[in-house]
Amino acid sequence: MEATFQNLVLGFATVFTPTNMLYSLAGCLIGTMVGVLPGVGPLAGISMLLPTTFGLDTTSAIILLAGIYYGAMYGGSTTSILMRIPGEAASVMTCIDGYAMARKGRAGPALAIAALGSYIAGTLSVVGLMFLAPPLAQFALGFGPPEYVCLLVCGLVVLSYMTGGSIVKNLSMISLGLMAGMIGIDQMSGYFRFSYGITALGDGVGLVPVAVGLFGISEILATAGSPEIREVLKPRFRDLLPSKQELKDSIGPIGRGTVLGFLIGIIPGSAHIISTFVSYALERRISKHPERFGQGAIEGVAGPESANNAASEGALVPLLALGVPTGPVPAVLLAALMVHGITPGPLFIKEQPVVFWGLIASMYIGNLMLLLLNLPMVGIFVNLLRVPYRILYPTILLFCVVGVYAVNSSMVDVGIMTAMGVLGYLLRKMDFETAPLVLGVVLAPIIEFSFRQALAMSGGSYAIFVERPISAAFLALALIMILLGLKPLIFKKKDWREKLTEAEKT
Amino acid sequence: MTIDRLSGAFLMLLGFFVVWERRVLPLGSASRPGPGYFPLLLAILLILLGAILILRGKDAEKVRALSWPEAQHAAAILGCCLFITLFMETIGYRLTLLLTLGFLFGVMEKIKVWLTLVLTFGFSLGTFWLFDSLLRVPLPRGGWGF
Repeated sequence: MEATFQNLVLGFATVFTPTNMLYSLAGCLIGTMVGVLPGVGPLAGISMLLPTTFGLDTTSAIILLAGIYYGAMYGGSTTSILMRIPGEAASVMTCIDGYAMARKGRAGPALAIAALGSYIAGTLSVVGLMFLAPPLAQFALGFGPPEYVCLLVCGLVVLSYMTGGSIVKNLSMISLGLMAGMIGIDQMSGYFRFSYGITALGDGVGLVPVAVGLFGISEILATAGSPEIREVLKPRFRDLLPSKQELKDSIGPIGRGTVLGFLIGIIPGSAHIISTFVSYALERRISKHPERFGQGAIEGVAGPESANNAASEGALVPLLALGVPTGPVPAVLLAALMVHGITPGPLFIKEQPVVFWGLIASMYIGNLMLLLLNLPMVGIFVNLLRVPYRILYPTILLFCVVGVYAVNSSMVDVGIMTAMGVLGYLLRKMDFETAPLVLGVVLAPIIEFSFRQALAMSGGSYAIFVERPISAAFLALALIMILLGLKPLIFKKKDWREKLTEAEKT
Repeated sequence: MTIDRLSGAFLMLLGFFVVWERRVLPLGSASRPGPGYFPLLLAILLILLGAILILRGKDAEKVRALSWPEAQHAAAILGCCLFITLFMETIGYRLTLLLTLGFLFGVMEKIKVWLTLVLTFGFSLGTFWLFDSLLRVPLPRGGWGF
């Protein structure tokens, strides 16, 4: 406890410099904009802005990028409440009651409660992250190659189960991602694999072009030219303060949303999205007046908004402590850390205390900044929504190109981004999820390396993966997930995942 | 033909392609896996998953039921991406983006000429200044130094 406190003081000392405070503020503001604008999610936002951090020192860069990440969660609620358009997927549930409240002239309290819930959830989740990540990293120091292989396989299988849709399709996307991750020089033998004489592919397929292509370009390809229906409800600022009853009704949902969101956030998959669905369902289930949900119940805004913020910070626990990203956005954060010469994992917290504790402290400050700035600035963010998409998408395309090119100064990367954009567009049409593919690409080198090391350790015996208790436990969990995922295939009955996917589409 | 069967067939084809391409990479042994070992396992997994999709895909949505209302825009944007990929290093960032943005704003979206010019020049030159000059992220200048 004392050590944690001392480390936190170190973190605040790192952040309380004018430069880092400025980067934290910039990250929060950019993140909010990214969250507000439909079609620009945190993933595309972080990828596009990654080059702007190249000239910064590592701590400042990570503070800026993390600010974009959790700022986007705040911003997403604005469009949901005022336009019934989720700025990003995790705000889908906020649309229902948030927009209903706005139509009744209660947009201000809905925005205020969303911001307050996000702040409380964000801050409490940082406390959770602060206390959970270091012991988890300590525990993971005992992991050998077999444990790592099984942990990663388990993570990928849980991701494919939790993402929703068909588990077979999700597993194929993981395999495809792992396959793409095989391209380039084999780190153990030095062989060029599947690079067809293109020297630039020697380093493999980069995560940034893959992520920007699959999430940024494919979004532009799928949505450009679609008719724009943008009715923006103007919030009445004099009504910004919620009533006493609204505040009272929100306390429970915020608390439950925080705990649920943080715990779900640690699990691989679309945690920030799932947590909002679970939180909304829970609030409706335990409400004395469930019929109010859908008609403008404040609990339907407070719960999901708290949950998605808590989940986004919960996802940082496995990323920072184990080096395992649980979704595409943490994967891009991982890539960003690696660009700056930092490899998250069990040794990260011990070897880079300034970066880790600086990040933690910046999140306390960032959450407070978001609360203080976002409500007064909501009018400015609403104006952003008035920019027509036909002006917006060429601009997003431009930032995608710059973002991808700048990582390696390579046109091959821009080509990969284009190819991935087309692939992502076709995969969307065919009902495939692209998040597992991204995770496959980022984890491929680590899985393969550990897998070959584990087999070398055991003299070629696959039994090593089931003989060691921790790896066996991970494999058992993966097997349970596969069986649960296959259940609807056998019984031809929709499970919660398929219902969730359908709800997301409507 | 259903979507699942088509995608399953594609995945199987890709799996077989990887099995074929892997032949130049040493497989090694179970105790010392070579560079071709893991890709082969993945290819087999891909073939299996593709086969499951084909076998279970009878009732999935039909391919011809897919609608492509955005096809024209998508083709134009894709063309722009290809143009950027092929020519940005040759003719430079600013000229490439001037042409691309000019085409998208002016031709595809039919935005007023003055606004197209403002947006095109503003974004092309502005982002070059921001990234290349201010943030020191080198962007291609092309043969004419532009």
